[in-house]
Amino acid sequence: MLWFNIFKKTFFGILLALIVWWVAGAMHFPFVFQVMFMLYVLLGVVVFILLDAPPMAPMSGGMAFVGLVVFYLGVSMFFIGGSAVLPQYDPNVEKGKIQKLLAPRLAKTEYGQQLALQKQIDALNQQAESIMNRLSVIGGTAVAAVGPVAVESGPLDLASFGDDHVAAGKEVYNLYECYNCHKLGGKGGTKKRGPHMDNLGNVLTKEQIKQKIFEPMAFYSEGFEKEYKKGLMPKKYKELMTDGELEVLATYLVTLKDTSVKTPKPIFP
Amino acid sequence: MNRLRAIAGLTGLLVLSAAAAYAQVPDPQPVDLPYGGNRTWTWVAAQLHILFAAFILGAPIFVVICEWIGMRGKDPRYERLAKEVTKVTAILYSMTALTGALFIFVLLVAYPQFTSWFVSRFSPIFAFIYPGLFIAETIVLYLYWYTWDEWQGPKKARHVALGVLLNIIGTTTLIVINGPTSFMNTPARAAGDVDMDLKTFVFEQASVFELVYNFSWIPLNIHRFIGNVVFGGFIAGLIAAYMYMAAKSDEDRAYYDWMGFVGNLIGVGALLLLPFAGYLLAFEFFEYDASVGPYMMADQLSMFFEMQGALVGLIFLASNYYIWLSMKRIEGLEDARGTIGMPLMMILFPIVMLPALQLAPLYEGVISWSVFFGLLLATLVLPPIIAKIPPFRKWTVSPTAIIKLGFLMVIFGNAIWMTPHAFVATQALATHETELPDVGFTIGAFAYSTMDLALMPTKNVAVALIVLVTIINFVIYNRAIRRGRIQWGKIDFISQFVLIFLAFSAIYTMCLMGTVRSLVRKYFHVYNVLPDFTAHSFTPTLVYSGYLWIAITLTFYAVVSFAIWVSLKPGGEKAKTSAQSGTPELAT
Repeated sequence: MLWFNIFKKTFFGILLALIVWWVAGAMHFPFVFQVMFMLYVLLGVVVFILLDAPPMAPMSGGMAFVGLVVFYLGVSMFFIGGSAVLPQYDPNVEKGKIQKLLAPRLAKTEYGQQLALQKQIDALNQQAESIMNRLSVIGGTAVAAVGPVAVESGPLDLASFGDDHVAAGKEVYNLYECYNCHKLGGKGGTKKRGPHMDNLGNVLTKEQIKQKIFEPMAFYSEGFEKEYKKGLMPKKYKELMTDGELEVLATYLVTLKDTSVKTPKPIFP
Repeated sequence: MNRLRAIAGLTGLLVLSAAAAYAQVPDPQPVDLPYGGNRTWTWVAAQLHILFAAFILGAPIFVVICEWIGMRGKDPRYERLAKEVTKVTAILYSMTALTGALFIFVLLVAYPQFTSWFVSRFSPIFAFIYPGLFIAETIVLYLYWYTWDEWQGPKKARHVALGVLLNIIGTTTLIVINGPTSFMNTPARAAGDVDMDLKTFVFEQASVFELVYNFSWIPLNIHRFIGNVVFGGFIAGLIAAYMYMAAKSDEDRAYYDWMGFVGNLIGVGALLLLPFAGYLLAFEFFEYDASVGPYMMADQLSMFFEMQGALVGLIFLASNYYIWLSMKRIEGLEDARGTIGMPLMMILFPIVMLPALQLAPLYEGVISWSVFFGLLLATLVLPPIIAKIPPFRKWTVSPTAIIKLGFLMVIFGNAIWMTPHAFVATQALATHETELPDVGFTIGAFAYSTMDLALMPTKNVAVALIVLVTIINFVIYNRAIRRGRIQWGKIDFISQFVLIFLAFSAIYTMCLMGTVRSLVRKYFHVYNVLPDFTAHSFTPTLVYSGYLWIAITLTFYAVVSFAIWVSLKPGGEKAKTSAQSGTPELAT
């Protein structure tokens, strides 16, 4: 009876899972969502098998201890498996960004200057050591190679962009993750937080863009009154961005003139 | 005059020598800790401390409630429960202090400059208020424990009052230390129209109270207070499960079965409020800086919230399964049949409320609120009324059928909760193969799309549905107890593993949410004020975090298990004595 019950529930559960799979597919849900919905149906099957399962035999003493250890290991593996199966964010992407954002600020601090000095000393020591190694084998067949030098993402060096302020501005746009709230080129801003940027150059002047970034309450975009009243646009950029970064960002944004996308007009309260 | 000069000279000499001594001490430099690095060790020490602190603050809340119920109702079971949990609390109290010291030492080694600035900026708290409260709490806790047997009978009320005092001090400690913690997330800005940048205000101008009274302080207090009660309840369930497994007599089994039920009841009861407190906290983060919202929900931390959704769903499933198992040992359960009101409510709720939350924002002000509350009220009030109408009055449903329907709704609600906008680690990676499709319908101004499954209003309905089902299950359980006959000690043995799972999952979820709260500071020690220049200021992967949470959870579990074993060793003389005083009736 018990096995028949399990078989019956599993059979109908799988049938239902297949129906859910098919319906989700017909509604154009991607494969990963179809799998998720199906897993939920199967979870339901497990729950309903458990609900009518016969009582578990009591455990005591050593048996209970072993049961507990196995249970803990099982749950631990289940939880780790759950966190491993979900998509993982690559920290290296963020590390590069953070390095670019923080390096100029660190360089201005006493601690940063100490670090820079220490880095120079280390590099000199490394060179000296390398030279000594080479000297020690002069006349021989082996020549010690100079040790590898760690390559780090460079700080945000606006000067490296030369006169290409647009490219520099694009870099600033990405580093400060403006795409979190604004859509540009069909990417970013998945929810209605801020207006699309594509046609910004036709609705705002460069000075207005700069003003909006540093003083978000100066004006708002048509259709974004609620967001404006809530103060969704952070006021932090005045404190986080340098004047140079603001300048190149505005230079880049004012070049965006794609009239096929509606960027709302400004309203000055 | 000469004497004055001498004093002035001596003072000057002292100051100079102190300055010279100070100058001899070089600026503290961070030490690179092996195996995982500075951030990881700080993370582990902080989380362990928070877990112990949560228990010693959460457990006394329901301990004193149980003691009071026991005193009023003359029920020795409540008295015994309160005493046993307090005994474990007293042992774990020292672990809280030890892990607290470990945390501060790790901080001093890993982040010496930041730590010394932070402690000095909040010096009144760290030098006087916090240690003072901690000492006061220690004294009151030990007084509470050591006067337990003495202050019985007419002195019992005095003992309960001492328990209340213990909770007042404990909660005040929590509120005080939450000030600096929340400050790191949402440092206070200058009030009113004062045009002052954040750094100047934080470094130079703000008073300590202004720093403490920041955006997320009150929500964090509420969230942690409720969280601690949940935690305390589930740990009481864990104690009960261990003791049930080790019980030698039917009396003990009956008692620990009952204790497990009470622990679960308190844990789940408070858990019902926790998602809403969590929303409030997240909302305040969002209000403070809207860029935190996408970071949490759409980008780097989005999959952390997927994991959280899965865990909370599992906790609700497990706690409802425990109610189911509790009901199975009620004699005459099938006599407690109900009307179609409750099942109707469970089915109507998502059907009406999912579109209602889309419909209400189409209107403005009062109309919007009227639409929302009108429909909400209709889903909650109409089903019981319909069930009383003559044609439907005859239709009755068995309690097991209602609870089974409840399980379906919990799974359905959790599936909605878990449905993200895209199955990617960050929205920048979203493609058509990973995103929700845009399929839906439009009726006038009202439009509904499958994309809406990922929006917050939909999530809110899903959470509310799970909460509603759990409340209904408890109502049914209570009705079944009144009409049937409960057999304490006869519960299915698997229920003890459910109690252990609940405590384990609650701890793991606390680790997860603590990590999220800390990570929303991004690459700052103090958000937007003090950057973290170390190599560790980045968002770790979910799986790396998962390994750490398991390591922390298992460590905490090992210590708590040891504390339970040491304090309540089954078969010991004291355990026998307390068993006699709190033996429950086998059948009530």
